[in-house]
Amino acid sequence: MKHLYLIGRDEIPSDIVLTSQEEHQLILLALPGVSADVPVNIRLAGEGAVIDVFGLYLNFGKERVSFRVNLRHESGHCRSRQLFKGIVGAEAQVEFDGLIYVAKGAQKTSAFQENHSILLSDRALVQTRPQLEIYADDVECSHGATIGKLSEDELFYMRSRGIPEKEARALQMRSFISAVVERIEDEQIRQMIYDKLSQCQA
Amino acid sequence: MDNILLKISDLHAEVAGKEILKGVSLTIGKGEVHAVMGPNGAGKSTLSAVLTGKPGYKVTSGEIEFMGRNLLEMSAEERAWAGIFLSFQYPIEIPGVSITNFMKAAVNACRKARGEKELTPSEFLRLMKEKMAFVKMKGEFAKREVNVGFSGGEKKRNEIFQMAMLEPVMAILDETDSGLDVDALKIVSDGVNALRSPDRSAIIITHYKKLLEYVVPDMVHILKDGRIVLTGGRELIDRIETGGFEGIE
Repeated sequence: MKHLYLIGRDEIPSDIVLTSQEEHQLILLALPGVSADVPVNIRLAGEGAVIDVFGLYLNFGKERVSFRVNLRHESGHCRSRQLFKGIVGAEAQVEFDGLIYVAKGAQKTSAFQENHSILLSDRALVQTRPQLEIYADDVECSHGATIGKLSEDELFYMRSRGIPEKEARALQMRSFISAVVERIEDEQIRQMIYDKLSQCQA
Repeated sequence: MDNILLKISDLHAEVAGKEILKGVSLTIGKGEVHAVMGPNGAGKSTLSAVLTGKPGYKVTSGEIEFMGRNLLEMSAEERAWAGIFLSFQYPIEIPGVSITNFMKAAVNACRKARGEKELTPSEFLRLMKEKMAFVKMKGEFAKREVNVGFSGGEKKRNEIFQMAMLEPVMAILDETDSGLDVDALKIVSDGVNALRSPDRSAIIITHYKKLLEYVVPDMVHILKDGRIVLTGGRELIDRIETGGFEGIE
Protein backbone atom coordinates (compact mmCIF):
# COMPACT_ATOMS: atom_id res chain seq x y z
CA MET A 1 0.00 0.00 0.00
CA LYS A 2 1.30 3.41 -0.90
CA HIS A 3 -0.03 6.64 0.56
CA LEU A 4 0.94 10.19 -0.18
CA TYR A 5 -0.24 12.99 2.06
CA LEU A 6 0.01 16.67 1.28
CA ILE A 7 0.17 18.22 4.69
CA GLY A 8 -2.46 20.90 5.07
CA ARG A 9 -4.65 19.30 2.40
CA ASP A 10 -4.92 15.67 3.41
CA GLU A 11 -5.75 14.30 6.80
CA ILE A 12 -3.10 11.96 8.09
CA PRO A 13 -4.51 9.01 10.04
CA SER A 14 -3.73 9.36 13.70
CA ASP A 15 -2.63 5.75 14.04
CA ILE A 16 -1.23 3.47 11.41
CA VAL A 17 -1.16 -0.15 12.44
CA LEU A 18 0.46 -2.81 10.30
CA THR A 19 -0.41 -6.43 10.79
CA SER A 20 1.69 -9.45 9.92
CA GLN A 21 3.54 -9.23 6.58
CA GLU A 22 1.81 -5.96 5.65
CA GLU A 23 3.90 -3.51 3.65
CA HIS A 24 3.24 0.21 3.57
CA GLN A 25 4.89 3.23 2.07
CA LEU A 26 4.07 6.63 3.43
CA ILE A 27 5.07 9.92 1.82
CA LEU A 28 4.53 13.16 3.72
CA LEU A 29 4.94 16.47 1.96
CA ALA A 30 5.07 19.87 3.64
CA LEU A 31 5.17 22.38 0.79
CA PRO A 32 5.81 26.13 1.03
CA GLY A 33 3.19 28.11 2.89
CA VAL A 34 2.03 25.25 5.11
CA SER A 35 2.43 25.32 8.88
CA ALA A 36 1.45 22.19 10.70
CA ASP A 37 1.94 19.88 13.58
CA VAL A 38 2.35 16.43 12.08
CA PRO A 39 2.07 13.48 14.44
CA VAL A 40 2.99 10.19 12.80
CA ASN A 41 2.14 7.19 14.92
CA ILE A 42 3.01 3.86 13.44
CA ARG A 43 2.79 0.46 15.06
CA LEU A 44 4.34 -2.56 13.50
CA ALA A 45 2.08 -4.96 15.33
CA GLY A 46 2.43 -8.15 13.33
CA GLU A 47 5.52 -10.16 12.47
CA GLY A 48 7.36 -9.24 9.30
CA ALA A 49 5.60 -5.93 8.67
CA VAL A 50 7.46 -3.38 6.58
CA ILE A 51 7.09 0.41 6.51
CA ASP A 52 8.90 3.06 4.50
CA VAL A 53 8.31 6.65 5.53
CA PHE A 54 9.50 9.47 3.32
CA GLY A 55 9.14 13.05 4.42
CA LEU A 56 9.84 16.25 2.51
CA TYR A 57 9.61 19.80 3.79
CA LEU A 58 10.14 22.94 1.75
CA ASN A 59 9.55 26.03 3.82
CA PHE A 60 10.72 29.37 2.58
CA GLY A 61 8.67 31.83 4.61
CA LYS A 62 7.56 31.93 8.24
CA GLU A 63 6.13 28.45 8.43
CA ARG A 64 6.32 26.27 11.53
CA VAL A 65 6.35 22.57 10.82
CA SER A 66 6.75 19.91 13.43
CA PHE A 67 7.06 16.23 12.63
CA ARG A 68 6.60 13.96 15.60
CA VAL A 69 7.29 10.41 14.60
CA ASN A 70 6.58 7.59 16.99
CA LEU A 71 7.44 4.38 15.25
CA ARG A 72 6.94 1.28 17.34
CA HIS A 73 8.31 -2.13 16.54
CA GLU A 74 6.06 -4.39 18.58
CA SER A 75 6.74 -7.68 16.81
CA GLY A 76 9.80 -9.42 15.49
CA HIS A 77 11.19 -9.47 11.95
CA CYS A 78 9.73 -6.09 11.06
CA ARG A 79 11.56 -3.52 8.97
CA SER A 80 11.21 0.26 9.06
CA ARG A 81 12.99 2.92 7.09
CA GLN A 82 12.54 6.66 7.46
CA LEU A 83 14.01 9.35 5.27
CA PHE A 84 13.10 12.97 5.97
CA LYS A 85 14.71 15.67 3.88
CA GLY A 86 13.99 19.35 3.61
CA ILE A 87 15.06 22.83 2.71
CA VAL A 88 14.27 25.63 5.09
CA GLY A 89 14.73 29.30 4.34
CA ALA A 90 13.77 32.82 5.45
CA GLU A 91 12.32 32.56 8.96
CA ALA A 92 10.79 29.13 8.72
CA GLN A 93 11.23 26.64 11.53
CA VAL A 94 11.08 22.91 11.31
CA GLU A 95 11.22 20.39 14.10
CA PHE A 96 11.78 16.71 13.70
CA ASP A 97 11.22 14.43 16.65
CA GLY A 98 11.77 10.86 15.68
CA LEU A 99 11.36 8.04 18.11
CA ILE A 100 12.05 4.47 17.18
CA TYR A 101 10.79 2.13 19.89
CA VAL A 102 11.68 -1.54 19.81
CA ALA A 103 9.69 -3.63 22.27
CA LYS A 104 11.13 -6.44 24.28
CA GLY A 105 10.80 -9.53 22.17
CA ALA A 106 10.73 -7.69 18.84
CA GLN A 107 13.83 -9.56 17.75
CA LYS A 108 15.34 -9.31 14.28
CA THR A 109 14.06 -5.77 14.00
CA SER A 110 15.64 -3.60 11.39
CA ALA A 111 15.02 0.12 11.79
CA PHE A 112 16.69 3.05 10.04
CA GLN A 113 16.04 6.73 10.27
CA GLU A 114 17.65 9.67 8.53
CA ASN A 115 16.89 13.37 8.64
CA HIS A 116 18.83 15.80 6.47
CA SER A 117 18.21 19.51 6.11
CA ILE A 118 19.55 22.46 4.19
CA LEU A 119 19.29 25.92 5.69
CA LEU A 120 19.03 28.81 3.23
CA SER A 121 19.18 31.66 5.70
CA ASP A 122 20.65 32.53 9.06
CA ARG A 123 17.21 33.01 10.55
CA ALA A 124 15.83 29.66 9.45
CA LEU A 125 15.84 26.97 12.09
CA VAL A 126 15.84 23.20 12.10
CA GLN A 127 15.79 21.14 15.25
CA THR A 128 16.23 17.44 14.92
CA ARG A 129 15.88 14.96 17.74
CA PRO A 130 16.33 11.35 16.74
CA GLN A 131 15.74 8.90 19.56
CA LEU A 132 16.12 5.19 19.88
CA GLU A 133 14.49 3.21 22.64
CA ILE A 134 15.42 -0.43 22.35
CA TYR A 135 14.41 -3.30 24.60
CA ALA A 136 15.29 -6.23 22.36
CA ASP A 137 18.82 -7.47 21.94
CA ASP A 138 18.95 -8.84 18.42
CA VAL A 139 18.21 -5.76 16.35
CA GLU A 140 19.75 -3.61 13.67
CA CYS A 141 18.99 0.07 14.22
CA SER A 142 20.57 3.30 13.13
CA HIS A 143 19.79 6.97 12.83
CA GLY A 144 21.57 9.93 11.33
CA ALA A 145 20.93 13.62 11.00
CA THR A 146 22.71 16.46 9.22
CA ILE A 147 22.02 20.16 8.79
CA GLY A 148 24.01 22.06 6.18
CA LYS A 149 24.04 24.74 3.55
CA LEU A 150 24.11 24.68 -0.23
CA SER A 151 27.70 24.51 -1.42
CA GLU A 152 29.11 27.81 -2.65
CA ASP A 153 31.78 25.96 -4.65
CA GLU A 154 29.13 24.04 -6.56
CA LEU A 155 27.23 27.24 -7.15
CA PHE A 156 30.23 29.06 -8.60
CA TYR A 157 31.12 26.08 -10.76
CA MET A 158 27.65 26.08 -12.29
CA ARG A 159 27.57 29.85 -12.76
CA SER A 160 30.99 29.76 -14.42
CA ARG A 161 29.36 27.50 -17.04
CA GLY A 162 26.62 30.05 -17.62
CA ILE A 163 23.87 28.60 -15.45
CA PRO A 164 22.11 31.58 -13.82
CA GLU A 165 22.38 31.71 -10.04
CA LYS A 166 18.71 31.04 -9.40
CA GLU A 167 18.64 28.06 -11.73
CA ALA A 168 21.88 26.73 -10.25
CA ARG A 169 20.39 26.90 -6.75
CA ALA A 170 17.26 25.13 -7.98
CA LEU A 171 19.44 22.37 -9.46
CA GLN A 172 21.29 22.00 -6.16
CA MET A 173 18.05 21.84 -4.20
CA ARG A 174 16.57 19.39 -6.67
CA SER A 175 19.48 17.04 -6.27
CA PHE A 176 19.35 17.34 -2.49
CA ILE A 177 15.73 16.18 -2.28
CA SER A 178 15.85 13.71 -5.17
CA ALA A 179 15.99 10.64 -2.90
CA VAL A 180 12.52 11.54 -1.63
CA VAL A 181 11.07 13.01 -4.82
CA GLU A 182 11.89 9.96 -6.90
CA ARG A 183 9.51 7.96 -4.67
CA ILE A 184 6.59 10.11 -5.74
CA GLU A 185 4.74 8.45 -8.59
CA ASP A 186 2.43 11.38 -9.36
CA GLU A 187 4.17 13.35 -12.10
CA GLN A 188 2.07 16.46 -11.36
CA ILE A 189 3.19 16.56 -7.75
CA ARG A 190 6.83 16.09 -8.72
CA GLN A 191 6.49 18.97 -11.17
CA MET A 192 4.81 21.10 -8.52
CA ILE A 193 7.76 20.50 -6.19
CA TYR A 194 10.26 21.48 -8.88
CA ASP A 195 8.24 24.62 -9.64
CA LYS A 196 8.33 25.58 -5.96
CA LEU A 197 12.11 25.23 -6.00
CA SER A 198 12.44 27.43 -9.08
CA GLN A 199 10.27 30.07 -7.45
CA CYS A 200 12.16 29.96 -4.19
CA GLN A 201 13.36 33.43 -3.24
CA ALA A 202 14.66 32.51 0.18
CA MET B 1 42.59 48.49 -31.75
CA ASP B 2 39.72 46.11 -32.35
CA ASN B 3 42.01 43.13 -32.44
CA ILE B 4 42.15 43.17 -28.64
CA LEU B 5 40.04 40.58 -26.88
CA LEU B 6 41.11 41.00 -23.28
CA LYS B 7 42.91 43.88 -21.68
CA ILE B 8 43.99 43.75 -18.05
CA SER B 9 45.37 47.05 -16.75
CA ASP B 10 47.27 47.45 -13.50
CA LEU B 11 45.12 44.92 -11.70
CA HIS B 12 45.35 44.71 -7.94
CA ALA B 13 43.37 42.06 -6.09
CA GLU B 14 43.22 40.68 -2.60
CA VAL B 15 41.95 37.58 -0.87
CA ALA B 16 40.97 37.74 2.79
CA GLY B 17 42.63 41.13 3.11
CA LYS B 18 45.93 40.01 1.63
CA GLU B 19 47.06 41.55 -1.64
CA ILE B 20 47.90 38.81 -4.14
CA LEU B 21 47.87 40.62 -7.48
CA LYS B 22 50.01 43.73 -7.30
CA GLY B 23 49.60 45.41 -10.65
CA VAL B 24 49.07 42.88 -13.44
CA SER B 25 48.83 44.22 -16.98
CA LEU B 26 48.19 41.85 -19.85
CA THR B 27 46.72 42.26 -23.30
CA ILE B 28 45.50 39.34 -25.35
CA GLY B 29 44.63 39.69 -28.98
CA LYS B 30 42.07 37.67 -30.89
CA GLY B 31 43.35 34.29 -31.94
CA GLU B 32 46.29 34.34 -29.55
CA VAL B 33 47.36 31.74 -27.02
CA HIS B 34 49.23 33.10 -24.02
CA ALA B 35 51.03 31.06 -21.43
CA VAL B 36 51.28 32.31 -17.85
CA MET B 37 54.01 30.59 -15.88
CA GLY B 38 55.24 31.21 -12.41
CA PRO B 39 56.16 29.64 -9.09
CA ASN B 40 53.60 28.57 -6.47
CA GLY B 41 51.94 31.49 -4.76
CA ALA B 42 52.70 33.91 -7.60
CA GLY B 43 49.00 34.68 -8.07
CA LYS B 44 48.23 32.52 -11.10
CA SER B 45 45.06 31.01 -9.69
CA THR B 46 43.97 34.37 -8.26
CA LEU B 47 44.24 35.80 -11.76
CA SER B 48 41.94 33.11 -13.15
CA ALA B 49 39.54 33.53 -10.23
CA VAL B 50 39.31 37.28 -10.79
CA LEU B 51 38.80 36.80 -14.52
CA THR B 52 35.87 34.46 -13.92
CA GLY B 53 34.27 36.39 -11.06
CA LYS B 54 34.80 33.96 -8.21
CA PRO B 55 33.34 35.28 -4.94
CA GLY B 56 35.86 36.07 -2.23
CA TYR B 57 38.33 37.84 -4.50
CA LYS B 58 38.35 41.60 -4.21
CA VAL B 59 39.69 43.81 -6.96
CA THR B 60 41.06 46.91 -5.24
CA SER B 61 42.18 48.77 -8.36
CA GLY B 62 42.78 48.33 -12.05
CA GLU B 63 40.57 47.37 -14.95
CA ILE B 64 39.67 44.40 -17.07
CA GLU B 65 38.12 44.96 -20.46
CA PHE B 66 36.74 42.02 -22.40
CA MET B 67 35.49 42.62 -25.94
CA GLY B 68 35.11 46.26 -25.04
CA ARG B 69 33.02 45.55 -21.92
CA ASN B 70 33.94 46.15 -18.30
CA LEU B 71 34.40 42.57 -17.13
CA LEU B 72 34.50 43.48 -13.45
CA GLU B 73 30.89 44.62 -13.58
CA MET B 74 29.70 41.31 -14.94
CA SER B 75 28.46 38.36 -12.87
CA ALA B 76 30.08 34.93 -13.22
CA GLU B 77 27.29 33.71 -15.49
CA GLU B 78 27.38 36.85 -17.64
CA ARG B 79 31.07 36.23 -18.23
CA ALA B 80 30.29 32.69 -19.35
CA TRP B 81 27.62 34.02 -21.72
CA ALA B 82 30.16 36.44 -23.15
CA GLY B 83 32.42 33.48 -23.90
CA ILE B 84 34.80 33.14 -20.98
CA PHE B 85 35.55 29.63 -19.78
CA LEU B 86 37.74 28.43 -16.96
CA SER B 87 39.08 24.92 -16.83
CA PHE B 88 39.25 24.50 -13.05
CA GLN B 89 42.45 23.42 -11.38
CA TYR B 90 40.30 21.47 -8.94
CA PRO B 91 36.99 20.65 -10.65
CA ILE B 92 34.01 20.62 -8.29
CA GLU B 93 31.87 17.58 -7.59
CA ILE B 94 28.12 18.04 -7.83
CA PRO B 95 26.40 15.01 -6.32
CA GLY B 96 22.93 14.33 -7.69
CA VAL B 97 23.37 16.30 -10.91
CA SER B 98 24.17 14.32 -14.05
CA ILE B 99 26.60 15.55 -16.69
CA THR B 100 23.70 15.60 -19.14
CA ASN B 101 21.49 17.81 -16.99
CA PHE B 102 24.39 20.04 -16.04
CA MET B 103 25.48 20.60 -19.62
CA LYS B 104 21.94 20.99 -20.92
CA ALA B 105 21.34 23.78 -18.41
CA ALA B 106 24.68 25.40 -19.26
CA VAL B 107 24.47 25.20 -23.05
CA ASN B 108 20.89 26.40 -23.19
CA ALA B 109 21.44 29.23 -20.70
CA CYS B 110 24.34 30.48 -22.82
CA ARG B 111 22.33 30.18 -26.03
CA LYS B 112 19.36 31.97 -24.49
CA ALA B 113 21.55 34.79 -23.22
CA ARG B 114 22.98 35.21 -26.71
CA GLY B 115 19.55 35.34 -28.30
CA GLU B 116 19.86 31.89 -29.86
CA LYS B 117 17.23 29.17 -29.76
CA GLU B 118 17.64 26.42 -27.17
CA LEU B 119 18.76 23.10 -28.59
CA THR B 120 16.12 20.43 -29.05
CA PRO B 121 16.73 17.23 -27.04
CA SER B 122 17.97 15.42 -30.13
CA GLU B 123 20.26 18.26 -31.20
CA PHE B 124 21.65 18.35 -27.70
CA LEU B 125 22.28 14.60 -27.58
CA ARG B 126 24.06 14.73 -30.93
CA LEU B 127 26.32 17.50 -29.64
CA MET B 128 27.02 15.54 -26.43
CA LYS B 129 27.96 12.40 -28.38
CA GLU B 130 30.26 14.30 -30.70
CA LYS B 131 32.12 16.06 -27.89
CA MET B 132 32.27 12.96 -25.70
CA ALA B 133 33.93 11.05 -28.53
CA PHE B 134 36.33 13.95 -28.86
CA VAL B 135 37.56 13.57 -25.25
CA LYS B 136 37.28 9.77 -25.45
CA MET B 137 34.54 9.46 -22.83
CA LYS B 138 32.28 6.39 -22.99
CA GLY B 139 28.49 6.58 -23.25
CA GLU B 140 27.87 6.03 -19.53
CA PHE B 141 29.75 9.28 -18.85
CA ALA B 142 26.66 11.30 -19.74
CA LYS B 143 24.72 9.76 -16.87
CA ARG B 144 27.39 10.11 -14.22
CA GLU B 145 27.11 12.73 -11.52
CA VAL B 146 29.34 15.71 -12.25
CA ASN B 147 32.89 14.78 -11.22
CA VAL B 148 31.69 12.42 -8.48
CA GLY B 149 34.06 9.48 -8.22
CA PHE B 150 36.09 10.70 -11.21
CA SER B 151 39.80 10.08 -11.29
CA GLY B 152 42.08 13.12 -11.58
CA GLY B 153 42.51 12.55 -15.30
CA GLU B 154 38.76 12.09 -15.85
CA LYS B 155 38.03 15.36 -14.08
CA LYS B 156 40.40 17.23 -16.38
CA ARG B 157 38.96 15.52 -19.45
CA ASN B 158 35.53 16.54 -18.21
CA GLU B 159 36.71 20.15 -18.10
CA ILE B 160 37.89 19.89 -21.69
CA PHE B 161 34.62 18.23 -22.63
CA GLN B 162 32.70 21.17 -21.16
CA MET B 163 34.97 23.58 -22.98
CA ALA B 164 34.29 21.77 -26.25
CA MET B 165 30.54 21.92 -25.56
CA LEU B 166 30.55 25.64 -24.76
CA GLU B 167 33.08 26.75 -27.42
CA PRO B 168 34.37 29.74 -25.48
CA VAL B 169 35.92 32.83 -27.01
CA MET B 170 38.44 33.00 -24.19
CA ALA B 171 39.48 29.75 -22.54
CA ILE B 172 41.52 29.87 -19.36
CA LEU B 173 43.24 26.62 -18.41
CA ASP B 174 44.33 26.69 -14.81
CA GLU B 175 46.96 23.97 -14.44
CA THR B 176 44.83 21.60 -16.48
CA ASP B 177 47.99 19.64 -17.25
CA SER B 178 49.06 18.86 -13.68
CA GLY B 179 48.94 15.20 -12.86
CA LEU B 180 47.99 14.08 -16.36
CA ASP B 181 49.55 11.16 -18.16
CA VAL B 182 50.64 11.54 -21.77
CA ASP B 183 47.37 10.27 -23.23
CA ALA B 184 45.24 12.64 -21.18
CA LEU B 185 47.62 15.47 -21.97
CA LYS B 186 47.12 14.74 -25.65
CA ILE B 187 43.33 14.92 -25.22
CA VAL B 188 43.62 18.24 -23.42
CA SER B 189 45.93 19.73 -26.03
CA ASP B 190 43.79 18.44 -28.90
CA GLY B 191 40.83 20.11 -27.19
CA VAL B 192 42.57 23.44 -27.00
CA ASN B 193 44.01 23.23 -30.50
CA ALA B 194 40.63 22.33 -31.98
CA LEU B 195 39.25 25.59 -30.65
CA ARG B 196 42.05 27.67 -32.08
CA SER B 197 40.73 30.15 -34.59
CA PRO B 198 41.31 33.77 -35.53
CA ASP B 199 38.50 34.75 -33.11
CA ARG B 200 39.31 32.60 -30.10
CA SER B 201 42.05 32.99 -27.56
CA ALA B 202 43.38 31.09 -24.60
CA ILE B 203 45.39 31.62 -21.45
CA ILE B 204 47.30 28.56 -20.33
CA ILE B 205 48.43 28.70 -16.73
CA THR B 206 51.03 26.07 -16.07
CA HIS B 207 54.16 25.04 -14.21
CA TYR B 208 55.40 22.75 -16.90
CA LYS B 209 56.59 22.97 -20.44
CA LYS B 210 54.99 19.70 -21.55
CA LEU B 211 51.55 21.07 -22.47
CA LEU B 212 53.18 24.01 -24.22
CA GLU B 213 54.92 21.61 -26.57
CA TYR B 214 51.53 20.50 -27.84
CA VAL B 215 49.77 23.85 -27.64
CA VAL B 216 52.36 26.30 -28.80
CA PRO B 217 51.77 29.73 -27.27
CA ASP B 218 52.23 33.02 -29.07
CA MET B 219 53.40 34.74 -25.91
CA VAL B 220 54.76 33.65 -22.57
CA HIS B 221 54.41 35.67 -19.35
CA ILE B 222 56.19 35.04 -16.10
CA LEU B 223 54.09 35.90 -13.06
CA LYS B 224 55.98 36.33 -9.85
CA ASP B 225 54.84 37.81 -6.55
CA GLY B 226 51.69 39.27 -8.10
CA ARG B 227 53.30 40.92 -11.10
CA ILE B 228 54.21 39.96 -14.61
CA VAL B 229 57.96 40.29 -14.46
CA LEU B 230 58.84 39.11 -17.93
CA THR B 231 57.05 38.68 -21.25
CA GLY B 232 58.46 37.06 -24.31
CA GLY B 233 58.08 34.42 -26.96
CA ARG B 234 58.28 30.66 -26.57
CA GLU B 235 62.04 30.82 -26.00
CA LEU B 236 61.15 31.79 -22.41
CA ILE B 237 59.78 28.30 -21.82
CA ASP B 238 63.19 26.73 -22.26
CA ARG B 239 64.79 29.32 -20.09
CA ILE B 240 62.38 28.45 -17.27
CA GLU B 241 62.81 24.74 -17.84
CA THR B 242 66.57 24.94 -17.38
CA GLY B 243 66.96 27.82 -14.97
CA GLY B 244 63.67 27.83 -13.04
CA PHE B 245 62.00 31.04 -11.87
CA GLU B 246 64.92 32.07 -9.68
CA GLY B 247 66.74 35.06 -10.99
CA ILE B 248 63.88 36.34 -13.12
CA GLU B 249 62.93 39.73 -11.76
